[in-house]
Amino acid sequence: MKSNPLHITLKTSNLEIGYQDKNGIKSIAEKINIEVQASELIAVIGINGIGKSTLLRSISGIQKPISGSIEIENKNLQELSDLQRAARISLVLTNQPISKNLSVFELIALGRQPYTNWLGKLSKNDAEKIENAIALTSIESLKDRKCYELSDGQLQRVLIARAIAQDTPIIILDEPTTHLDMYHKAYVVKLLKKLAKQTQKTIIFASHEINLAIQICDKIILMQPDKCQINTPENLISTRAFQDLFPKDLIHFDKISRAFRIKNED
Amino acid sequence: MQQAGKHVSILAILSLMLIALTLLNISLGSVNIPFNDIFSSFMNAEVSKETYRYIILDYRLPKAFTAIIAGSGLAISGLLMQTMFRNPLAGPYVLGLSSGASLGVAIVIMGATLIGGSFVALALSKWTLVIASSLGSLMVLFAVVLASVRLRDTMAILIVGLMFASLTGAVVSILSYFSPAAQLQQYIFWSFGSLGDLSWEEVGILTIFWFLGISLAIFCIKNLNSLLLGEAYARSLGVNIRRNRMLIILATSLLAGSITAFCGPIAFIGLAVPHLIRQVLPVNNHLILMPAVILGGAILMLICDIVSQLPGMEFTLPINAITSIIGAPVVIWLLIRKQKFLF
Amino acid sequence: MKKIGILFIFLLSLACKEAEKSKTLAENPEGKEIAIEYANGFSITEFKDYSIIEVNSPWPEAEKSFKYLLAKKEAKIPKNVTYDQKVTIPVQKMVVTSTTHIPALEALNETSTLKGFPGLDYISSEQTRNLIDSGAIKEVGKNESLNTEVLIDLQPDVVIGFAINADNKSFSTIQKTGIPVVYNGEWTESSALGKAEWIKFFGALYDKSKAADSIFQRIESNYQSAKKLAETAENKPKVLSGAMYKDQWYLPYGNSWQAQMIKDANAEYLWADTKGSGSLSLSFESVLDKAQDADFWISAGQFTSYSGMLEQSQHYSQFKAVQDKKVFSVSMSKGETGGVIFYELGPNRPDLILKDLISIFHPQLLENYQPTFYKALND
Repeated sequence: MKSNPLHITLKTSNLEIGYQDKNGIKSIAEKINIEVQASELIAVIGINGIGKSTLLRSISGIQKPISGSIEIENKNLQELSDLQRAARISLVLTNQPISKNLSVFELIALGRQPYTNWLGKLSKNDAEKIENAIALTSIESLKDRKCYELSDGQLQRVLIARAIAQDTPIIILDEPTTHLDMYHKAYVVKLLKKLAKQTQKTIIFASHEINLAIQICDKIILMQPDKCQINTPENLISTRAFQDLFPKDLIHFDKISRAFRIKNED
Repeated sequence: MQQAGKHVSILAILSLMLIALTLLNISLGSVNIPFNDIFSSFMNAEVSKETYRYIILDYRLPKAFTAIIAGSGLAISGLLMQTMFRNPLAGPYVLGLSSGASLGVAIVIMGATLIGGSFVALALSKWTLVIASSLGSLMVLFAVVLASVRLRDTMAILIVGLMFASLTGAVVSILSYFSPAAQLQQYIFWSFGSLGDLSWEEVGILTIFWFLGISLAIFCIKNLNSLLLGEAYARSLGVNIRRNRMLIILATSLLAGSITAFCGPIAFIGLAVPHLIRQVLPVNNHLILMPAVILGGAILMLICDIVSQLPGMEFTLPINAITSIIGAPVVIWLLIRKQKFLF
Repeated sequence: MKKIGILFIFLLSLACKEAEKSKTLAENPEGKEIAIEYANGFSITEFKDYSIIEVNSPWPEAEKSFKYLLAKKEAKIPKNVTYDQKVTIPVQKMVVTSTTHIPALEALNETSTLKGFPGLDYISSEQTRNLIDSGAIKEVGKNESLNTEVLIDLQPDVVIGFAINADNKSFSTIQKTGIPVVYNGEWTESSALGKAEWIKFFGALYDKSKAADSIFQRIESNYQSAKKLAETAENKPKVLSGAMYKDQWYLPYGNSWQAQMIKDANAEYLWADTKGSGSLSLSFESVLDKAQDADFWISAGQFTSYSGMLEQSQHYSQFKAVQDKKVFSVSMSKGETGGVIFYELGPNRPDLILKDLISIFHPQLLENYQPTFYKALND
């Protein structure tokens, strides 16, 4: 299958996200216009509380936007049924009450739920997708282990494998590198990049690992109080977009190393 | 798949145990009935004493049937509640079904005296209690569901159910305080639970509710599996959380509500059987778990009934006491043996 | 030396006390005990100016007995007489707490002294109901709890209490205001005539001991002659009692007074060899197995009709006594407000109960007899 590089998987138009409470409508961010394509690895970057999670929840259909539209493969997200949505977007989340008694295989197999019959029986195709996901994430040796036996890093790969098995054009991850050490942080983002290229899926993740994101992502969605922009790391650097991201007293963005560094006190 | 073969054989063993225990349950009781007479009763042949035939066919047989339905129904309700709330301590009564039933029955048995004078409560028919129990359960369930619709957090429903249980418990205490001894005794006897009091007609009606509840539960198997990952993942897999919640609550109500209405509140089975089954059959797939829990619940209830009949003695013990006395130590023993508790 | 001295003085003082005691005993003339033949729960000793009622079984396994002093208003009571409560006789205003106390009052013609009762609806006697309707008797409580305020306001001369155990807060509250509370332990008596003999207890309170004695003698001779009559019967039918709740059957023990009367009526109660207090509870199976062919069924719980019984459980249809319509219940005879006459009048008139039973078990011995308590079930 020839990949179509201009295949737009997610598109938002004038999206305004937020929520409604008893005091009325609270807007978190507005005028969000983003377009993402197949095979792209995209990070959502911003300071604490800017609305990264809200954005992810909105584009994955969990939270209703205040206004504007979200299109998944040219279809309006609001008009999709639960199952249609499940076939288009899969998630990788942290801190979920997952039954630790599940085996790795069982957990990954649950990624096929949107496609199986009413009893959840796995077809040959389903079995293939599962094997494929296991191979892509290199967890063959863990296949028969129970989830409670896994380390954090291993569990993260298993959850990613599950999302791969769900075979959706878009995978969304919320802070996938949070409890991992530096090596495994790098491992996970490299894995995500490899997966995006190999499976042609769009992979979007929210993260605080801005230095890693700049090194490896195809695009970055930068959320700031006054605007939300999406662009390649190159363009963001050359337009000095990172300068105003954080308060300037402790860290600054170094153009040469293309990373944030601690300011020297001299 | 080696696993599948192992699962099937365990289910087969459980089925055989069910048949064996049903036969044992019918054979044992206060009166020692010789095996020939038991066989003859079924074959419509001559028995040494006609009362033996009556006891076997019209007392022990419907009782065994009721035990199977009540045991499996409560066990499935427990499983549904434990998966939905992702809480190992949940049982069929966390939605307040048993406390609602107790309230309904308490009002009819003890409350009537307060309103209508000293003798109103004594003229109670069987169906009055069944209806009172059902209405009481429905009332509390309605309140819990109302709260559930407004609450996005499933865990909050658990708390609401528990709070209603406290509330109804308080009202029952007040009624007990003012009640004359005869009525209080009647209420307490109801709360002991009883499997042997149903006519074939009543067993039939109970079976219909059981069938509806079990069917709904089977319909939810796939969604229950998705819920093993938590609600957020389940939603991302296409599960309509709100609708699924309603279906599970409906199934539980049909099962636990009807059983409580006909048999009184029976403790422990709903909570313990899913755990006991998981010790024997450590699967997560509800497709295997459900039939195992149905069989396991029926088996455990039959055992408890046999014990409560104190075979050979003229006295019997209330079923509620037996389910707790047998069940609790068994679960503790299994957990100590396995030494880890995974949920 | 010192130690022996102290011991000596101690022993001396003891001896003096003993001497005092015997001196005071000599001052009190010996009391005359009234003859009580069947009842074990009380005794009455008459002295010159007063009497003492000693109730030694106010409730089962009571640890102490109660002494009640009965004396007329102006009587002189010796200083050293010990008692728990003092009652001025003859009693003018009384409150009783059990319907079983009412027949004694009626027999002694003293119902006009009854001023209060807890749970007026339970009273079935017509005579007393008329008094209730005229407002002469006040409601002093509901179910098992007494309304102490209303009771104290009535200022009765005595409250006849009955208790299940030593825990009686409401009674002690009443006693503190000076109203004597006297326990009636008639319900603990195991024999039928023993229960009826407690009319002498009430007789003493009204200073009508002679009348009470003759009333009891009449009841006793009625009972004995009925018993003799029953012995002439040719057959001894088998008898079942009690009823089911759910699938548990509750019936009287073999040593209960109901079972005793079945025996005296020359019938075989199928559980006559059981002993205990309270109710015997058995599984339905064992009752069916033993009593399926019982000839009669006495006291079928609350049921008043065969249809009501069968609606509660089809199992009842298996019993021969039900098929032959030989079921008799005391629940059929009720007072105006629903009180069952048997529970009120029964303990006082065992002779009537016995005759009822004989007329059921051996109808040929008492033709045209109208039973007071046990009536056949309706269809």
